[in-house]
Amino acid sequence: TEWNVSLWGKRRAFTEHVEKIAELVDKKTNGEFKLNISYGGLSKNKENLDGISIGAFEMAQFCAGYHRDKNPSLTVAELPFLGVSTLDQERRLSEELYKHPAVVKDLARWNATLLMPSPMPQYNIAGLGDTPKSLDDFKGLAVRATGGIGQAMKAVGAVPTSMSASEVRQALDGGVIKAVAFAQHAHMAFGVVEKATWWTTNLNPGTINCPVVVNTDALNGLKPAYRDALLGSVDEALDYYVDNYNNKTMKRWDPLLKERGIEKVTFSDQAIADLKKAVATPAADQWVKDNAAKGLPAQELYDFFTGMIK
Amino acid sequence: MEPIEIGLIVSGGLLVFVVLGMRVAFAAGLAGLVGLIWIFWAKKGYDPEAFMWALGIAAKIAGQVPHSKVANQALSLIPTFILIGYLAYYAGLTKALFEAAKRWIAWVPGGLAVATVFATAGFAAVSGASIATSAVFARIAIPEMLKIGYDKKFAAGVVAAGGTLASLIPPSAILVIYAIIVEQDVGKLLLAGFIPGAFSALIYAGLIIGMALTIKGFGPPVSGYTWKERFASLPPSLPIVFVVFIIVVFIYNPFGGDAWGTPTEGGALGAFVVFCMAVFKGMRWAELKDALLESAKLSVMIFTIIWGVLIYVRFLGFADLPGAFSDWVTSLDYSPMLILIMILLAYAVLGMFMDAIGMLLLTLPVVYPAVMALNGGEAVSAAESTFGMSGPMCAVWFGILVVKMAEFCLITPPIGLNCFVVAGVRDDLSVQDVFRGVAPFFVADAITIGLLIAFPAIVIWLPSLAG
Amino acid sequence: MAGNANVLTDDSLLSLLDQKLNEIGKFLALISGLAVFSLMILAVLSVSGRNFFNHPLPGYIDWIEQAMPLIAFMGISYTQRNGGHIRMDMVVGKLKGRTLYAAELLTTLAILTLMLLIVWGSWEHFQRSFDFNAPMWSRDSSMDIGIPLWPAKLLAPVAFSVLCLQLIVQAWGFTSALISGTDQPVAVPLIEDVAAQANHEASHLTGHDD
Ligand code: NA
Ligand code: NA
Repeated sequence: TEWNVSLWGKRRAFTEHVEKIAELVDKKTNGEFKLNISYGGLSKNKENLDGISIGAFEMAQFCAGYHRDKNPSLTVAELPFLGVSTLDQERRLSEELYKHPAVVKDLARWNATLLMPSPMPQYNIAGLGDTPKSLDDFKGLAVRATGGIGQAMKAVGAVPTSMSASEVRQALDGGVIKAVAFAQHAHMAFGVVEKATWWTTNLNPGTINCPVVVNTDALNGLKPAYRDALLGSVDEALDYYVDNYNNKTMKRWDPLLKERGIEKVTFSDQAIADLKKAVATPAADQWVKDNAAKGLPAQELYDFFTGMIK
Repeated sequence: MEPIEIGLIVSGGLLVFVVLGMRVAFAAGLAGLVGLIWIFWAKKGYDPEAFMWALGIAAKIAGQVPHSKVANQALSLIPTFILIGYLAYYAGLTKALFEAAKRWIAWVPGGLAVATVFATAGFAAVSGASIATSAVFARIAIPEMLKIGYDKKFAAGVVAAGGTLASLIPPSAILVIYAIIVEQDVGKLLLAGFIPGAFSALIYAGLIIGMALTIKGFGPPVSGYTWKERFASLPPSLPIVFVVFIIVVFIYNPFGGDAWGTPTEGGALGAFVVFCMAVFKGMRWAELKDALLESAKLSVMIFTIIWGVLIYVRFLGFADLPGAFSDWVTSLDYSPMLILIMILLAYAVLGMFMDAIGMLLLTLPVVYPAVMALNGGEAVSAAESTFGMSGPMCAVWFGILVVKMAEFCLITPPIGLNCFVVAGVRDDLSVQDVFRGVAPFFVADAITIGLLIAFPAIVIWLPSLAG
Repeated sequence: MAGNANVLTDDSLLSLLDQKLNEIGKFLALISGLAVFSLMILAVLSVSGRNFFNHPLPGYIDWIEQAMPLIAFMGISYTQRNGGHIRMDMVVGKLKGRTLYAAELLTTLAILTLMLLIVWGSWEHFQRSFDFNAPMWSRDSSMDIGIPLWPAKLLAPVAFSVLCLQLIVQAWGFTSALISGTDQPVAVPLIEDVAAQANHEASHLTGHDD
């Protein structure tokens, strides 16, 4: 049996769990069940869910914020200032969220079953031009920030723009944006560090949620042994992913900032607390209202998710 | 059957369709669709009952491609670049340019031909399409050259060759298409075309001067313009300088600091300036409507090729053909430079029979990864690379080489579109005449391509300044 | 490489249908041209907004992505009707009479088959983004400002359906020419002598410049 897997960009920390699970499954089935990973050859990243629904490929990764109407239930995890602090915590939260019936039902519209998250650290902003000294300096700054992080940026007077990761570098080159909210691996993989002159250390406005899904029919059609090999490898693949992210990507980050002469910007605790107060509650209220209109049990989902954090 | 074998067979079938005269866009789309059906049906062991299932999946995958690929911000450069060209006619920019070039440089040996080359190069800076450039200058420049005794065939050849400059000198629709296929920075590629384009123009000019000095009875220089007359010719062509200026600061800000915007915005703003000029010169709704319809037709033609070929490319992705070809090329036992030159020669042959855009879309998904692999991969540093340049710079360099090859194909027989266009404008010239007249420029182009290969700095110096 | 072509007309039903479709096609192509124009205006607004008023146009990229399908698809039938989609005519250019009509009929039917399947596939693509029960019927929206994507996705099957009608008329035209063996077939794009075609193109480009 062979499965096609649709990812995008190039191999990076963000895709290591998929590479790992392919390796584990191959080993456990003596090479009889293969995952062929393609970086961009099978679909555009914003259409990976469409491809899963068609049955064009059996496994894919995508980010909820790329298309909120396709997967409204997942965007609860992208709300600003939820207070998540570690990759392990992000992983556990996502895994629980993916089991919630409303989420399962939401993804079932695409014939998709959630397999595993791609936990990412809190986003922070790297930019060029004048280094912001306080949050006031964000006024008028054109920044790439999606979902809840965008709302946080709006609250400090910045002008957020959404675009997928692959489009960021060109927008930065062209001056459409001056700053980018990304996790560290993406700042490196998409060339932001080559242009940035500053990076915020503790804005931590949130992160985005990028699950790996499989086509439900394909999963149900697997031989039990293959199915066990796949599902039984998720934990190990994620352990590897988190370890790799914490110990390789994060460790490379500080030396890289030093080497490139990128200035670190740290805001006072008070400033962050004020920002959080100004952003978090209104954003959550808006989210519940919008998504209730889409027929989701929005309040319940929000309470369920945030209840696990406190 | 292995997906790669299916990939090869379908690619062969595509060539047959194209030669039989099926419109290129649809031939590619059909080949892609048939290939996808085949791959999915093969997955089910060619079970007759699974055929409709395979057909359905293939149609759905192919049906995604048109919207998915076309709804792309970077592609919006193409229609604006085309629109600029059409509006420029109404703004009278072409005539102004030729007049200025004549008064300023026609005093050198072979003067009027040299002036024509520089005027086409100047017009190239606002026009994104080669054929249009040749067509206009055939009307304006050939009569003047004939008046002072130039050989008819040679005069036509100068215009046909000069027209090709429009696709290297930004803005250029072909460079944009290359950038999008290989997913590289459009701005950098456009910037990279500037010096090789100017360089090509200089080599053309050098060739003409050389011919004027050695051949008896070559057209005489045109002199006797006063400085006053020269300066008087400048203001009407100033808008071109202004448009070029806008496009350049939008791609790369030479004053330091950030660029003012994206190439898309620069192109659109340039079009707007030319539009205002044209209105000032008396363009009204009837002419504007005409320009818009023509731009739409050309854009649709290009976009249909784009999505048609990308259906085929999506099929190649499922067949994993690019990966296999790249593995094969890198395993060859020849020097990488020899392989690169062989690839370029293959383009010269293919380009005799195909149009530039179709050729690039068809071949690049397979050839580009192979060239990048030859150089040492996408992420290779200049020091560790085969050709002495980083991955992204190699992408830029190869892009300029390939586009120059595509331009070369516009003047080579049997199908050199620029020559057909020039012959079409002049009733007294046959296509064979133009091909004969343009022949000396093959030499110039061969020299240019050789120099671009030997001294990549000509290509990558400017874009490397932009960071 | 053939671009433009001639289409003969008479007062037969076939030709009337062809001319009617050409009118519709031309109207759609003009919409596409106006979309190019609006792209230009949009960029001017975006640039001046960002550089002079320090306020970027919200959703600039989203709006461009909405306009692109208009530009790319709406004129497809008009372009096909007038032979504007390029092809290699080295081989067909040598053919005459019934052999020519047979070859043209074959490729026209091949294109028709392709386009019928693409209409199906692109309709499915539209349907995945459309939901009667959702706000603004949207099940897929643009990334930045959340414009519903279904109208833009709907343009593909609509424009391609008009193309299919045009192809049916052309197939009919080639079939009746094949039967009658006429040298004056109506409602189908004829290969012009390449030079005549270039002349046609060039006269269009330069007509207003001198
Ligand atoms: Na140009
Ligand atoms: Na040629």
